Amino acid sequence: MKKCIDLAEELKGLHTLETIQKELGIKRNTTIKTVSLLRKEGLVETIGGGRKKRWYRINTVPFRKYGNSGLYDMLNKYSRIKLWKPYEHRIFGRKMSVEEAIVRAVVSGRIRTVLVSLDLFNHVKNWSRLYKYAKEYDVRRKIGALYDVSRTKLKVRRMDERIRSKLLKSKDKSKYIIKPFKSKDFLEIQKRWNVCVPLNKADLEVYDEW
Amino acid sequence: MVDVKEQNDIFGLIGRKLKRKIECFVIGGSAMMYYNVKENTKDIDIVFLNEKDRTEIENILRKEDFTERNTRFLYHRKKNVPILLQKYDMRFDLFLRDIICFWLSDEMIERVEKVYEFGDLIVKIVSLEDIVLLKCATERAGDRADVKEIIEKVGIKWDVITEEVVRQTKDREIFSVFLYDFLMELKEDLKVDIPKEVIKKVRTIGEREMVKRLGK
Repeated sequence: MKKCIDLAEELKGLHTLETIQKELGIKRNTTIKTVSLLRKEGLVETIGGGRKKRWYRINTVPFRKYGNSGLYDMLNKYSRIKLWKPYEHRIFGRKMSVEEAIVRAVVSGRIRTVLVSLDLFNHVKNWSRLYKYAKEYDVRRKIGALYDVSRTKLKVRRMDERIRSKLLKSKDKSKYIIKPFKSKDFLEIQKRWNVCVPLNKADLEVYDEW
Repeated sequence: MVDVKEQNDIFGLIGRKLKRKIECFVIGGSAMMYYNVKENTKDIDIVFLNEKDRTEIENILRKEDFTERNTRFLYHRKKNVPILLQKYDMRFDLFLRDIICFWLSDEMIERVEKVYEFGDLIVKIVSLEDIVLLKCATERAGDRADVKEIIEKVGIKWDVITEEVVRQTKDREIFSVFLYDFLMELKEDLKVDIPKEVIKKVRTIGEREMVKRLGK
């Protein structure tokens, strides 16, 4: 452990396999073994992988996560567009559902969070649960409007008709998702739901990359 | 002593008993545990933004057989002292926005790095820089050792510290003077590596403020 902490102190920060190799002056295989040793002690957090370059964040104190995934973990798990976390959000004693994540993303009042949340509509399994959370946070019409916006660009599951009509009949206190933004493009959706959508068609083009 | 699991358990219990959402800020050793810089803590320090929230948590803790302790022994001749509630070896220090000679600024609230939800209890963990500043304000036994751990194990952004010192000193107590003493003790007694420029800057802020106030 002592050896690992010394090593972590030397390497503290963000690295790729190549930078570690260069810094320690060792072979590639030995570097992989070193990272593996550090990971066992919880001193390495891996970012990326797959089609992306793998990064290693090395720290001198072990990375430990408490509780269950919070809003940003859920959004990054289910959306193709990834989000930088303004803070670490964790939930204890229960698990956050996709439906709750959508509603809380809308409530967050951050434009990028709202944009990322559109991709989660395709993962909704329980439309009544989505309605329940939307009612709790008083964003029923906003959720309906964003669902329609997401359907213009993304492949999204069809919403239960009963829930849709319930959402349409509901009343939200404010018509702004993010004050004072409103869309120039989704006029029909905005009119139907009496909600100001803070996104334009161009904003959804980020999904074209995928 | 309380470890992170016990702390999470008691937060969970409070969260289940609450009837509405309450936000609080965790500071000191309790916050350090979430950054993995400390294994256990003597007390759970919590800061509330309003009296109503504090009273609600206080009532829940009292129903769980926590009893009030006198603050005189721990915070002798200090103002803005917390409500101390204790059960066996678990102690809660419940502050209300002001923490001795320090106050929870809006910038500190924005700097919060972790938000944990325990049912209706939303616990916000202040940043490491703010933990250091608050340790200077409370000045209890072990606080210097804790700060040494933070600086050596994780490292802190010193510019955040100096910016906050200016904010804290404005129209209030000359916090920079306390911080200067605190940093000097860390540097000289505990041999903590603190940049010279930081100490110089804190000293300058303190001197300037003292001259300004004596001149009034």
